[in-house]
Amino acid sequence: MGWMRDRYHALRGLVRGGQLETDVTEELEFHLAMRTEEYVAEGMTPEAAREKALQRFGSVAAYREELLGIGVGMARERRRTELRDMVLRETRQALRSLGRSPSFTVMAVLTLALGLGATTALFSVVDAVVLRPLPYPEPERLVWLDSPVPGLAPDAQWDLSEAGFFHFSREARGLASLGALDTATGSLAAEDGALRVDVATVSAGLMDVLRARPALGRVITPDVDAPGAPPVVVLGHDFWVRQYGADPRVLGTTVRLDDVPTEVIGVMAPGFQLPDDTVDLWTPLRLDPSRPAENSHWVRAVGRLRDGVSLAQAQAELTTLTTRLPEVFPGAYRESFMRETRFTTRLTPLARHVVGDADRTLWILLGSVGLVLLIACANVANLFMVRADARGRELAVRSALGAGRWDLAWHALTESLMVCAVAGALGLLLAHGALRLLVTLEPSELPRLREVGLGWHGVAFAGGLTVLAGLVFGLFPQTRGAKVLARLRESGRGLTSSRRRNLVRGGMVVGQVGLAVVLLSAAGLMLRSYWTLSHVESGLDVGNTLTFDIMLPRTRYTNYDEVNRFHRELLARLEALPGVSSASLSTHLPLGRFGGCAAIFAEGMSVEADKQPCVTSPSVAPGYFKALGIPLLQGRELTWDDLEQKADGVVVTKALAERLWPGQDALGKGIRGNGKLPPYYRVVGVTGELRAHGLDQPPSEAVFFPLAPAEGRPLWGPRRSPSVVVRTRTSRPESLTPEVRRILKELDATVPLAHARTMERVVSRSPSVARASFTLFLLGLAGGMALLLSAVGLYGVIAFIVGQRRGEMGIRLALGARASQVTGMVVLQSLRVTGLGILCGLLGALAMGDVLGALLFEVRATDPFVLAGVCGLLVTLAVLASYGPARRASRVDPAEVLRSE
Amino acid sequence: MRIDLLQGTLDMLILKALTGGPMHGYAVASWLQRTTDDALLVEEGSLYPALHRMTRRGWVKADWGVSENNRRAKFYTLTAEGRRQLMEESTSWARLTEAVAKVLHARPATQGA
Repeated sequence: MGWMRDRYHALRGLVRGGQLETDVTEELEFHLAMRTEEYVAEGMTPEAAREKALQRFGSVAAYREELLGIGVGMARERRRTELRDMVLRETRQALRSLGRSPSFTVMAVLTLALGLGATTALFSVVDAVVLRPLPYPEPERLVWLDSPVPGLAPDAQWDLSEAGFFHFSREARGLASLGALDTATGSLAAEDGALRVDVATVSAGLMDVLRARPALGRVITPDVDAPGAPPVVVLGHDFWVRQYGADPRVLGTTVRLDDVPTEVIGVMAPGFQLPDDTVDLWTPLRLDPSRPAENSHWVRAVGRLRDGVSLAQAQAELTTLTTRLPEVFPGAYRESFMRETRFTTRLTPLARHVVGDADRTLWILLGSVGLVLLIACANVANLFMVRADARGRELAVRSALGAGRWDLAWHALTESLMVCAVAGALGLLLAHGALRLLVTLEPSELPRLREVGLGWHGVAFAGGLTVLAGLVFGLFPQTRGAKVLARLRESGRGLTSSRRRNLVRGGMVVGQVGLAVVLLSAAGLMLRSYWTLSHVESGLDVGNTLTFDIMLPRTRYTNYDEVNRFHRELLARLEALPGVSSASLSTHLPLGRFGGCAAIFAEGMSVEADKQPCVTSPSVAPGYFKALGIPLLQGRELTWDDLEQKADGVVVTKALAERLWPGQDALGKGIRGNGKLPPYYRVVGVTGELRAHGLDQPPSEAVFFPLAPAEGRPLWGPRRSPSVVVRTRTSRPESLTPEVRRILKELDATVPLAHARTMERVVSRSPSVARASFTLFLLGLAGGMALLLSAVGLYGVIAFIVGQRRGEMGIRLALGARASQVTGMVVLQSLRVTGLGILCGLLGALAMGDVLGALLFEVRATDPFVLAGVCGLLVTLAVLASYGPARRASRVDPAEVLRSE
Repeated sequence: MRIDLLQGTLDMLILKALTGGPMHGYAVASWLQRTTDDALLVEEGSLYPALHRMTRRGWVKADWGVSENNRRAKFYTLTAEGRRQLMEESTSWARLTEAVAKVLHARPATQGA
């Protein structure tokens, strides 16, 4: 039993290396003394005898060194085996003792594993999305450039114009380099038809900014980025592996990209991507600095700060450079435009731009799950305490038999570490599974999702938590272990100390209930948000509708007529399919790709830019509103005849009509997308209320222009990459996809088809809905776990207290109390504890609501329904959890209790 | 004359010495000297690393005890493991010496049959 003491001595013996030296010296000295004596006995003088003994022995110093070396090695080995034996012994003992109480063990392990797993999974997400730096050298110096134009709309942000891009590249001293990029989908000729590829079109400067390195060949360099240079492409590493089996001979070959013969000049280094996009192919942007400047903002720009330049300094310089745009490009930028739109250029750290506001949601979720872990820990601590109490007798006996306090503490620590280790391992498995699930669910909300996985960060995090938990649970009950001996003497029922322990336990339950209230309120608020959101009238009917994107190669479809002919033919063939009721296409897709914002001008209004509404302007094919189930309040859709005659009809949404012509009839009113170029387009139809930008957004203001502009009003090029929508009569529209592919292939095999999905999926993936469902899912999970754990904790504590007060109950019953009174008393006690917890929790819930604020949709943090519901739920829980123990308490046999006293 | 000991041979001799019961290093040295009639002129000091290494391997066990003249001395005892080792070593030693003896006593082959 006193093995701790033994260990101590053994260790001390090893630590004192002096012992070893004395031993060796003594052994050798004995030998020499014996030999010397022998020679003396033969008649030598002691000196000569000693001399001869030494000579015969060899170098004492050398042998001594050798022996010390061997001795140290031995000591080390012994220490290792001793430690191993000790760990094995302790582990065996802990396992035996845990095995004796399987219910305790299973409960504790599962509770902890859930908490640890959830926390680790979420931590890994936060780590991948928020904490881990962007995968470029010195990522903290990377900045995103854009131009807010608050004069047009509060949150309108434009990218740079070509002119602005060159201006800043030339003049900005604070930027070491500036790169431009644009992304598109391209069509790459492959053996089996056309392959849809994600293309990043970038300036040579961007390679510099992101420090791109080739794995083979070269990257986009200034010579291939020059205007008029022959077309070249650099393959993304993944794409090269996937498509060409990592064959280096692809270098120098010619591929057909968008029907243009293009030379492959390189392969990017593995893992090189755009900050927020996966890229298959990289092509040069070839911006031409000699082109006349235009006030057209489409260049996405990333810069790298010069060493030693702060963001604020660079920002100040850019602001100055921006104000000089009108004098540098008088044809493109007017002072009045700059003033009215309050046009500026803004620098954002690239990481911030990529992550956007996802980090807030994630921190909230991590916090919530952390709370669950806290509850789980409180529960497990409780379990350990109950166990320590239950084993009080055993421990007392042990210590009476000579086990020191340390031995007892050590046992408890080993046990708790074992429980935590198993729980930690299970938790890691859970976390891994959860992350895999998350990546397949792909919440559109999370940038850098492909980087999410259980990495060593997550494992280290879980490991740290596990060890911490193990230490806490192991040592916490020990602080009371000192009383064990005393308790043995006082007949095992120290009332005062148990009263205090019950207080501790009660306090834990109050805490648990409080945390559960916080989490459940959060989940409840999210649920209401989600419910409200999913009952928002989107203004379109998404059932039974399939959508997909196509892309016509520029070389083959050069003008409006060619493009429109293809579109018309395609739609006609789609409509001829059995089961299809209508088909159409458009540049925009409600709740999907429905962005952009440009000033439009209504007839008879001032043309000052800042007075103009900024609206989305899709081009639509005939039949669009029918195919999407968008009702027309007035007028009609455009027809193919309109299109062929280059007619000037447009359709506007109800929200826009009401803003531009409040109280008037919108039909026939004039509208155009450019302040200087009459004639106007004429409104021929008005749709119902439509929320195409997002269900959480106000009703959309949009003008639906025809596919091709009316005579003499060229505002846009041919619409080569529209989204097609097909309304079907089947409930599984995706079953039509093969048919669609066949039709497309017959029409033109070089046209790729992408993103085939149902409209329902588009809606569920739209950011507002996806965010709400993702957070709701996780918060709901956290809330559910909190509820379950609180219930378990509450039940455990009530049962324990009832068990302790059996005697009292017996006496009460003996004195004539009715069983129902005793039951009521116990339930009431549980309600008292719960009530206190609820009160604490409500305060927390209000704080949580504030934090959630931005995630909520038309629900206030103080929503009475939610809070009342949560309170009701917990009260019910308290009654249920205490009912069993209460019933048991009321069935105590007084006689038996009195006998056992 | 002096015999150079092969690696491991000294170990074997020490183990053999210990078959008679526990001994301290000096006793082992003296016993070897007596038994071989001083033919093995090894430095006595080299016994000790051999003894300690064998302790480490578990072939012998070392304990402090009291010598015949009442001094503290370290006594070495053969373990079961050591006994097994001695058996193996002596068997292969016997085989080796037999083979060597055969060669030395053989009549050399004549050149060109």
